[in-house]
Amino acid sequence: MKFVLPLALLLSALLWALAAPSGLPDRFATEALSLDELLMLYGHMPRGAMALVAGGCLGLSGALLQVVLRNPIADPSTLGISSGAQLALVAVTVLFPGLLGWGRAPVALAGAGAAAALVMGMGALRGFHPVTMVIAGMLVSLFASSFAGALTLAQGQYLFSLVVWTGGSLVQTGWGPVLALALVLALGGGLAALMARPLSVLGLEAESARALGLSVGRVRALAVVLACVLAASVSAAVGLVAFVGLAAPALARALGARRPGQILALAPLTGAVLLSLVDGLVLTAAGYGTEMFPTGAVTGLIGGPLLLWLLPRLRATPPPAPDAHLPRKARPLRRVGLIALATVVLLGLLLMLGRTPDGWSLLDRERLALFLPNRLPRLAGAAAAGGLLALAGAALQRLTANPLASPEVLGVSGGAAIGYAGVLFLAAAPSAVALTSGAALGGALAMAVLTCAVLGRDARPERLLLAGVAVSSLAAALLSILMAAGTMKSFAVLAWLSGSASALTASGAALLVALLAFACAAAVLMARWLTILPLGPEVARALGLPLRGATLCVVALAALATGAATVLVGPLSFVGLMAPHLARRCGLAQAVPHLLGSAALGAALMLAADFGARMASFPYDLPLGLFASLLGTPWLIWMMLRRPT
Amino acid sequence: MTALYTLSDVTLTVPGRTLLHGLDLSLPSGKVTGLIGHNGSGKSTLLKLLSRQTQPTRGSITFAERPLPDWPTRALARHLAYLPQHPPAAEGLSVRELAALGRYPWHGALGRPGPEDRNATDAAIAACGLDGLAARRVDTLSGGEAQRAWLAMLIAQEAGTLLLDEPISALDIAHQVEVLTLVQSLSRARGRSVVVVLHDLNMAARYCDHIVALKSGRLVFEGTPDDLMTPDRLHDIYGARMEVMTRADGSPVALPV
Repeated sequence: MKFVLPLALLLSALLWALAAPSGLPDRFATEALSLDELLMLYGHMPRGAMALVAGGCLGLSGALLQVVLRNPIADPSTLGISSGAQLALVAVTVLFPGLLGWGRAPVALAGAGAAAALVMGMGALRGFHPVTMVIAGMLVSLFASSFAGALTLAQGQYLFSLVVWTGGSLVQTGWGPVLALALVLALGGGLAALMARPLSVLGLEAESARALGLSVGRVRALAVVLACVLAASVSAAVGLVAFVGLAAPALARALGARRPGQILALAPLTGAVLLSLVDGLVLTAAGYGTEMFPTGAVTGLIGGPLLLWLLPRLRATPPPAPDAHLPRKARPLRRVGLIALATVVLLGLLLMLGRTPDGWSLLDRERLALFLPNRLPRLAGAAAAGGLLALAGAALQRLTANPLASPEVLGVSGGAAIGYAGVLFLAAAPSAVALTSGAALGGALAMAVLTCAVLGRDARPERLLLAGVAVSSLAAALLSILMAAGTMKSFAVLAWLSGSASALTASGAALLVALLAFACAAAVLMARWLTILPLGPEVARALGLPLRGATLCVVALAALATGAATVLVGPLSFVGLMAPHLARRCGLAQAVPHLLGSAALGAALMLAADFGARMASFPYDLPLGLFASLLGTPWLIWMMLRRPT
Repeated sequence: MTALYTLSDVTLTVPGRTLLHGLDLSLPSGKVTGLIGHNGSGKSTLLKLLSRQTQPTRGSITFAERPLPDWPTRALARHLAYLPQHPPAAEGLSVRELAALGRYPWHGALGRPGPEDRNATDAAIAACGLDGLAARRVDTLSGGEAQRAWLAMLIAQEAGTLLLDEPISALDIAHQVEVLTLVQSLSRARGRSVVVVLHDLNMAARYCDHIVALKSGRLVFEGTPDDLMTPDRLHDIYGARMEVMTRADGSPVALPV
């Protein structure tokens, strides 16, 4: 094991040297250099250095987060910090380009800080439960990347360099960024060394650490801020380089580092070697005329498998305590009926309501007959998709007893997006049917991976959630590689990702409605399982529940519902998370009312989002999924930051 | 006396450690059996094996004259009820709904609950003294009440054998006595078999008919409470010197010297 690190470094140096445009220039007067030598001096050499320095920064950042949160799957990408930085940079570039005059680093830091504060806030209220933290991070980064994607979409092809940049390209045109980042790494390394001893005390439970006289809050905050600065600096310099911060400490542990001090010391080295090796491979591939992939997107591919590998290492911690004082109604089914009725009335109203240049009006019979063939499929389809996602969310939250489980985290949407994009890129002129079946196939593949995770030795619900996160992140990495190819097709993918119901046909909408009815019936049949499963696998097994089969059925139902909604109207966001919570707040505690009430509320939410998307910038449509997540996110943040008792 | 459980050469190994070393043991039917031992002696691990929550690495367990792995899932749950050491928070469930979950092994996922299911649930709630609390939510009850609500679920299951993992560890003295008296009466009055992991030696001696003691994953004692309560035996089990005294009614109590 001792020789692994030097050997890997040697290999990456070799790959780098083989890809060099010329030998090392022996003179440094710019005018005397040939073009190749210039490229070597100001392109290739800083790139090699950048790989090492950025890898070191990310390794240190990940190690700090893992030590301070006692969480082997924490890193800037899983906690959403890198995505926050990326969103801030994209938003500023698109909306306030003037601000970039101050440099990219402050902008990236603001975004990273906001994302970290959000995730840490959610975590702090839930005892920094490892899986919950990663799911919160995944939600933040899903939102950030969909929002960044939509901004890119809105600005047309002018911003294509932005897409390439967010993929984390290490291409350099000078020594400035490398030196700046090296300075950050040196300062950060020094600070981390000073904090090594308090951090190793924090390796104990927070209570014991406090008893040993450590100011836990201050050390934790300081370490997280340092990790954010390191990650944001990398984001500002080269863009999103995913999962190096996750892999580096894991490699350090595999090489024998056990104590926090050892991990902090070794992780920057393993990170540097890892990123430099990946970049060497990317350079070699580019040398053979393959398309130029941004290195950061390629490291993203490591993330999914790595998370699956780290899965057994997680301590089995109980999921966070649910909100205690949620109401509970005595006659819940009547309330479900009322909600469903209100949803249908809303649907009818939205069918009739028209907006003309003169103002609002209810459509008369003649115009209604004109509009109905267009409007009914769209509204019915959107409502059914919302209901399916909400049902999937409610079933998953019950299955895993984790209030943060949602269809977005399951990875089925991600798989479907890959399928859609894959067909779009591989076929010359794909038909709508081909695209839809591509998306269905992708979703089915993601579901197969989840099934394998469930069928593993012990059907622990955490396993399922993390497998979902792994599939999601793998899908995100693949997508960003496809996007970096930078053709008009990338825009078609972006448009689909932001989700629009306007292209829905009558048969598609009818299919969705039928599926919703089927899914509701299936959920009611599984209601007894879904009552017992939240009590955990031990109780379920003791009561004679066929644990593996039941889990499999629930996952299949959730995946089918999510997949169908995604395939037809794009990966709409956050309805699957919001609706079950709203239903619970309406006092629907038992399984059947909770599931059905969630579906009805999900449909209503999606109708509202669709109305908003149509009216916000009338007469132009906004993307439905994007609008739904814009509505949902502030609510989500508010809910997450409330103190559970 | 027929054997409830027969264990032969039961061994459980996890990476780096052996938790149970080749146990050969038989547990009596219709009695309250106490599992005792120091921390990490493997008593909870043994109970998990008996309840089929985990499988042994080596060896075989026979339950009611049938190999444990051969039992169909629901049939086993009709004969065997298990209460984990830390029952989860039953979010949103009422006491009656929790107790009614004990009927799952009888009516299954889709079967219609009949009058016998309702009667069993009512009887279990009454047996645990929860009549006044049946409509309350479990997550608003005190620790002792919640523990009794979980016991009601176990009783509603109407299994002939109950496996309890430290059912009194979170309770105060009054509730400890209450719960163990209930467990004892279930065995005495209905002929049920109970296997209970207990931390408190004196409680074990007082409420159990049969004691099994483990030390570092090995069997060190098996017999009646009276045989157990001698200073030498207790020193073997706990590695601490104990003094055994006799109370007015003749029952022994042990205190550390």
